[in-house]
Amino acid sequence: MQGPGIGWYVIVAAILFGTGALGVMLRRSPLIVLLSLELMLNAANLTLIAFARQQGSLDGQIFALAVMAVAAAEVAIGLGLIVAMARRGVALDVDQAQALKG
Amino acid sequence: MAAGAWVCLLAPLAGALGITFAGERISRRTAGWISTLTTFVAFGGGLVAFFATWAADPEEREKVSTAYTWLAAGDFEVGLQVLVDPLSTVMMLVVSGVGGLIVWYSMGYMAGDEEERRYFAYMSLFVFSMLLLVESANFLLLLVGWGLVGLASYLLIGFWHQRPEAVAAAKKAFVMNAIGDATFALALVLLVWETGALDYLGVFEDVGALSSTIVNLVALGLLGGAVAKSAQVPLHTWLPDAMEGPTPVSALIHAATMVTAGVYLLVRTHPIFEAAVDVQQLAAVLGVVTLIAAGLIALVQWDIKRVIAYSTMSQIGYMFMAAGLGAYGFAIFHLMTHAFFKALLFMAAGVVIHHLAGEQDIRRMGGLREALPRTHVAFLVGTLALVGIPPLAGFWSKDAAISSALETGGALGWTLYVAALAGVALTGAYAFRLYYAVFHGPAHERTPEPHGPEAAHEAGHGEGPLSMLVPVGILTVLSAVGGLVSIPGVWHPFTHWVGESAEAVVEPSTAQDYFTSALSVALGLTGLYLARRAFAADRQLVTSPSAWQVLEHKLYVDELYDALFYGPAAAVSDVLRRDVEVPVIERSMDEIGSGTIQAGGGVARAQSGLLRTYAIAIAFAVCVLVVVFVAVR
Repeated sequence: MQGPGIGWYVIVAAILFGTGALGVMLRRSPLIVLLSLELMLNAANLTLIAFARQQGSLDGQIFALAVMAVAAAEVAIGLGLIVAMARRGVALDVDQAQALKG
Repeated sequence: MAAGAWVCLLAPLAGALGITFAGERISRRTAGWISTLTTFVAFGGGLVAFFATWAADPEEREKVSTAYTWLAAGDFEVGLQVLVDPLSTVMMLVVSGVGGLIVWYSMGYMAGDEEERRYFAYMSLFVFSMLLLVESANFLLLLVGWGLVGLASYLLIGFWHQRPEAVAAAKKAFVMNAIGDATFALALVLLVWETGALDYLGVFEDVGALSSTIVNLVALGLLGGAVAKSAQVPLHTWLPDAMEGPTPVSALIHAATMVTAGVYLLVRTHPIFEAAVDVQQLAAVLGVVTLIAAGLIALVQWDIKRVIAYSTMSQIGYMFMAAGLGAYGFAIFHLMTHAFFKALLFMAAGVVIHHLAGEQDIRRMGGLREALPRTHVAFLVGTLALVGIPPLAGFWSKDAAISSALETGGALGWTLYVAALAGVALTGAYAFRLYYAVFHGPAHERTPEPHGPEAAHEAGHGEGPLSMLVPVGILTVLSAVGGLVSIPGVWHPFTHWVGESAEAVVEPSTAQDYFTSALSVALGLTGLYLARRAFAADRQLVTSPSAWQVLEHKLYVDELYDALFYGPAAAVSDVLRRDVEVPVIERSMDEIGSGTIQAGGGVARAQSGLLRTYAIAIAFAVCVLVVVFVAVR
């Protein structure tokens, strides 16, 4: 296998995933939360592709394509929600959207 | 001949469906005509079937016609099939002929009622059900007809649903009949189990091979159904209450046709009963007990229709006795003549009730001979036929039935014979008590205000429209001459005709018949004389106050059933409600509900509504899972 070893890919993916997770947990703007979610998904994609290459099998790559499709759909809905919130004058702050509090 | 039978069966059904679906698009009068004419079409079909059977070779007079197979399982098959034989053609003619006359009469009687269309739809439904009952060629279809006539009877007794008594009476009739239906259905289950067939011919072939226990049980079940439907002791209490229905209904269902279905059943299934002689004799005994009890109670009733209702029970008692002793032809003969004169009595009583704007209490009647001369003649003919004065219809049929008890002989035969003759004296007494109270004596001062729903119709208009008078006239003639189709020692066409379907076990000799007739006419006239003397002296037939009390409470049978069945059931229900329903079931339901609410309240606190909390919780849970996963591996 050419290029860096599998360990590096995993490390980069872990950093990306950690950044994304922290973003989801700490940021209040729904836009940033969505961005962070995308980061986490892409970290997962990176590991899928890296391991697929290491194993010499195409399964992981195909699975990564599926993840991208899901991610695109999820972003479309998420952004649609955010636009709708903005149009109705709802504050763009996930801490203030608490209507589901039990 | 099957085509006639099918027309006979389906014409009233078409009438019922037509009236129902036409709804308010047709006038009430049209509905009445549809119902009347379809019933007469059925009579025409019955005539065709009858004459075709008559013309057929005596060997080929039994014909089964199958429309389609309804149920099939292995070699067990039940179909929509009718049986045309001498017995069923006679029943077809009685049901559709008398039925047609009574429906016609209803057009005058019910004129002006709010819900006439419903009434005529029910009447047509009843005629159809009754024809299904008598034409069926297998037990299952018989049970269907059996249930449907019960339904029609329920609907028509409770026809005036704004009257609580009518609704209660309808319910009572339905429940009492349901007991009989249940034993009947159980008998059929046993039959299917043991013989694997439900068509008459198949079952009767196998009866001989059954064990005596099974045959006795089947016969008992069938007898239970017959007793309930025909209002015999001990399931008789519904019939007097059923008089809450309109008078033509009482004439059709509770006198001429439905209540005699039990007799038809005894005759139709005679091979089973002949194999279970004890049960057959039980039927005769029950019949005689009923005829005495009903005759006694009829002596003290004040309601004109109730007196006739008790008389019906008592006359069906004679039929049960004849059928139970094996004189099937005489049972059906009495069934036919009874249909004539009892329908006539009810219809004449209907004219009286109509004339008096719904008054039914004979204490407020009297002296109607001048006001209703034609009805007076009709009622007198009906009463004489009922008592059995020659040459009217009842004379020939009742005496024939009684003399079969004499021919049977033995302790049982003699007891039944004496009791049945005593019943004739009772019949004479109560029938003429009614006749004198209604038509003789001073006219009663009439209250101007009308009573009950029967008064919705215009009151005090003499003897009613032609549609009421003509059927009464026809039935008067039939009650007078209808018995001449069987004269002992001269000719027996009727009993021989029925005998082709159900051959009689006992056949009284001509001498026995005339001896019985002499006794019975003498006793009937004694009853007449007693009633006349009591009427002339302006006192009642039953003078002892304690006897009066017992009879007025109908021998306390209703009270007994209340104490035996209703009381304990209500007490158990009360206990169950107090000790089980409220503390256990209701409270546990409450607990489950409130517990769920409380648990929900606790869990709801975890739902902060903060997106980030959820994210942290998920991340934390994933970490824990990963650690656990790795550690376990």
